[in-house]
Amino acid sequence: MKSPFSKRLAVVLAAAVVTAGLASSAWADKEKVLNIYNWSDYIAPDTIANFEKETGIKVRYDNFDSNEILHAKLVAGQTGYDIVVPSSQWAKIQIQGGLLQKLDKSKLPNWKNLDPSLLTQLSKVDPGNQYLVDWLWGYTTVGINVDKVKAALGGMPMPDNAWELVFNPKYMAKLKSCGVSFLDSPSEILPAALHYLGKPPYSQNVADYNAAYNVLKPIRPYVTLFSSSGYINDMANGSICVALGWSGDINIARRRAIANKSGQNIEALVPKNGGLAFFDTMAIPVDAPHPENALMFINYILRPEVDASLTNTVFYANPNKASLKYVTPVVANNKTIFLSPEDQKKLVIPDAVNNDVRRVMTRLYTRFKTGV
Amino acid sequence: MAAVKDDVVLEDLLRIDGLIKVFDGSVRAVDNVSLTVAKGEIFALLGSSGCGKSTLLRMLAGFETPTAGRIYLSGKDITDLPPYQRPINMMFQSYALFPHLNVWDNVAFGLRRDGMPKDELAERVESMLKLVQLGKFAKRKPHQLSGGQQQRVALARSLAKRPKLLLLDEPLGALDKKLRESTQLELVNIIEQVGVTCVLVTHDQEEAMTMASRIAVMNEGYFLQIGTPDEIYETPNSRLVADFIGNVNIFEGEVVEDEADHVTVRCPECLHYVGHGITGTPGMAVGVALRPEKIHLSREQPDKPHNWCAGDVADIAYFGAHTTYHLTLVTGMTLKVQQPNLTRHSGQGLTWGDRIYAHWSQDAMVVLTQ
Amino acid sequence: MLARLISRFRSVFRGRNAVILVPMLWLFVLSAVPLLIVLNFSFSEMEIASVASIWKWADDALTIKINLGNYLYFGQDPLYFDTYLSSLKFAAITTLWCLALGYPFAYFMARAQAHLRPMLVMLVMLPFWTSFLLRIYAWKTLLVSNGLVNQLLMALGVIHTPLQMMNTPFSLTIGMVYAYLPFMILPLYANLVKLDVRLLEAAADLGASPWKTFWLITVPLSKRGIIAGSMLVFIPAVGEYVIPELLGGPDTLMIGRVLWDEFFSNNDWPMASAVTIVMILLILLPITIFNKYNAESKSEEQA
Repeated sequence: MKSPFSKRLAVVLAAAVVTAGLASSAWADKEKVLNIYNWSDYIAPDTIANFEKETGIKVRYDNFDSNEILHAKLVAGQTGYDIVVPSSQWAKIQIQGGLLQKLDKSKLPNWKNLDPSLLTQLSKVDPGNQYLVDWLWGYTTVGINVDKVKAALGGMPMPDNAWELVFNPKYMAKLKSCGVSFLDSPSEILPAALHYLGKPPYSQNVADYNAAYNVLKPIRPYVTLFSSSGYINDMANGSICVALGWSGDINIARRRAIANKSGQNIEALVPKNGGLAFFDTMAIPVDAPHPENALMFINYILRPEVDASLTNTVFYANPNKASLKYVTPVVANNKTIFLSPEDQKKLVIPDAVNNDVRRVMTRLYTRFKTGV
Repeated sequence: MAAVKDDVVLEDLLRIDGLIKVFDGSVRAVDNVSLTVAKGEIFALLGSSGCGKSTLLRMLAGFETPTAGRIYLSGKDITDLPPYQRPINMMFQSYALFPHLNVWDNVAFGLRRDGMPKDELAERVESMLKLVQLGKFAKRKPHQLSGGQQQRVALARSLAKRPKLLLLDEPLGALDKKLRESTQLELVNIIEQVGVTCVLVTHDQEEAMTMASRIAVMNEGYFLQIGTPDEIYETPNSRLVADFIGNVNIFEGEVVEDEADHVTVRCPECLHYVGHGITGTPGMAVGVALRPEKIHLSREQPDKPHNWCAGDVADIAYFGAHTTYHLTLVTGMTLKVQQPNLTRHSGQGLTWGDRIYAHWSQDAMVVLTQ
Repeated sequence: MLARLISRFRSVFRGRNAVILVPMLWLFVLSAVPLLIVLNFSFSEMEIASVASIWKWADDALTIKINLGNYLYFGQDPLYFDTYLSSLKFAAITTLWCLALGYPFAYFMARAQAHLRPMLVMLVMLPFWTSFLLRIYAWKTLLVSNGLVNQLLMALGVIHTPLQMMNTPFSLTIGMVYAYLPFMILPLYANLVKLDVRLLEAAADLGASPWKTFWLITVPLSKRGIIAGSMLVFIPAVGEYVIPELLGGPDTLMIGRVLWDEFFSNNDWPMASAVTIVMILLILLPITIFNKYNAESKSEEQA
């Protein structure tokens, strides 16, 4: 907390969050309590229960559904949470802003299970891997309903690069008839458009974003839904045929379609020039009341069988190379979850943008969505 | 069905025929009432609260629908007309002036509904305000006026349309006593000046007596007696009427002698010789009503066989113009006696506990058979 | 010295002053203080993950750095003007519909038999028993292209292809009117129930038909209820965020969304604060008018 005014605001806001035992961090740490703030639908059913049974620590598990909301809470301070799970490019700002604390790796014997190549990739936002442990990772890509897309395109062949489907008006004009959904967030859509254009997806150059807007503008009439969560169901039941979405979500839609025998053949595509990777990372806020318990939980997650159960549930890859043998074959063999080495190499690693660029992104996205 | 009157030839304006109003299926607020009001009359419905007088008035205005019976105005049946189509206007209890309109607009309200031309309307409103002496207050809102001024606005408003019949609901009820007395006469003056027929509802017998040419005393939905104020006062037809109008002493007794020109009634207190005949028989139980102001007091025992009794002074109330004495009679009955203070020291030196004799003439009493 | 202070303290905080002090303190803590913080933010700038302080104490001198950039930025981007305008427009439409629907409703309630009235008030409040979010979501299921309304209309043969009702100004207006209607009905009811029935009788007595009586007496006398209800609907409707998010669409951008974007997407708290301050100023205008009218007509209420 740098600013005294933020502190004052924090006092006002503190009433709304966990307050018990905040006064003394040392005393609080001995409490058998752990407060976790994670993305919604991002955990196995027994993960928390097993941890509680083993340690006697009572876990309070809260959900958020956007990095923006988590970030605002961290900036306000005194969240009361011991573990938060920001995406890596947001975690970078949070590290720079002094909102997170360093991990005591002596308390994390399972750190050895982490995939070194992934650690290298994360070190771009977290030099020396001092603050962050990957929870799960995935990538932003295009998912399709194979049969419906084929029908909508008529005789037109599928494009070589999957991004063409959602950014080229030629395809979009046809796909509108069976429904197209876009993630509802500037920080997802603009980097994807930049990547499609061949420009750096996390560019700090405002002019690049104007170019991306020019790509987006003509396809706006064909986007029938903006959704960051509801699109899973819409895909599974066939009311949309193309989604610009997250790889795991598209695989959940696929699984649901199979389970419901809805006859919809859902598939996540891996774009030729790579998807946009995201790493959702566990971190401990600088003012966490129970950091010791937080480290215990992180170490627990890094057990091979625990990490594997996460992947088996939500169809996102985990960073734990030792977990692979516990992952069910149908998931392990899915090349859109565990990417081939070539595809993994092509993944775009996320980076943070400065506040001015962020403002431009929001503004252009608003203009794209509403025309204002 | 024109009513026939022998003594005076007056045109009937309002005729009520067997009017009944039943509330909630059982409460008979107005119970088979018939009445004729002549043109130019000021007619008062007098009774205590709950006697049905307001319900009767509201049926005349059209706010209540009679359960049975008809109402005729100038021979025309208006029973089923809604209030806004009746040539009747009402001055409401506590006036019901429109708070958002100024005095001028309040008075003009009814005229505008008739679509009266602007010039004529302005002239009419001006003359009405002049009539009630409120010309200077035309632009004021009701809340900026005193109670008396509001009352006059209400009157002007109800007269503005020159109704055939004016209804007054407790017209002076909201004023304090002093203002009420002066306003009573002023109100009568204005009504007579305009010449409108008027039915007024009041619980105040004094108000009814001063203002009305005829009074109907109401009780439990029916008329006890209808008559001029002095008829009602001097010859009440029942204990209820005698008791309701003014102060009265009522002796209970039985008829011992019943002749055409007089009756003798024996009461525990005294023997009454009443100088008028009744329809009754010896032995019948009756009441003898005696107004306090018709009694004389003397220190000597009167030299006659009847119409006097002895009592002890229990209470003396000095009212300035007269003094009221409460005498305790041998039977324990309290006799109210009112003595005019004709001279400055006419109290005869009477004081508490004095033995005194009350006596009265044979024309002072009324025998009440009901 | 101390004794004098104490006695002075006592004389100030005695009796009526002490009674007023509690609500005043409450108002100060809950409304003035947060507002001042927001105002302070609006003159500041965002650092990486905190708001820069405009107050600096260095070398025995207090430096105040007021950044007007956030306010000046309003002029540079039509986004703000357009969305303020569209917020005011949707709030006004909502208010008018609420009035048109709520007035007959409140009138009916006020004229109902006295023993029925508490139940009718309960019925108006009944929606508050379920979550606001759930109720708005319920509209979603009604209005979507395969929702109940479309199914019904198609079954009746009124239409043959589903109507696009969701995510349009239509769905937004329905949601807003639905959510805010009780806030219009209750003050109107409270006002109309007090209306002296004798005034209506007096109007009828003077020859006004029921319709004329309504327009000439009932409506003017319920002006304060109309204004109070309209304020209660209009003011929160201007800043409404949830309903446009759930039921609105590309044509229904309102200032609440812009505020959300500034705060969350842009992580620009000072700009978000500036947007808020301008919004408060916009809302303050109708309140001031209302208060002025209120003060004027208060004396009229009772004579």
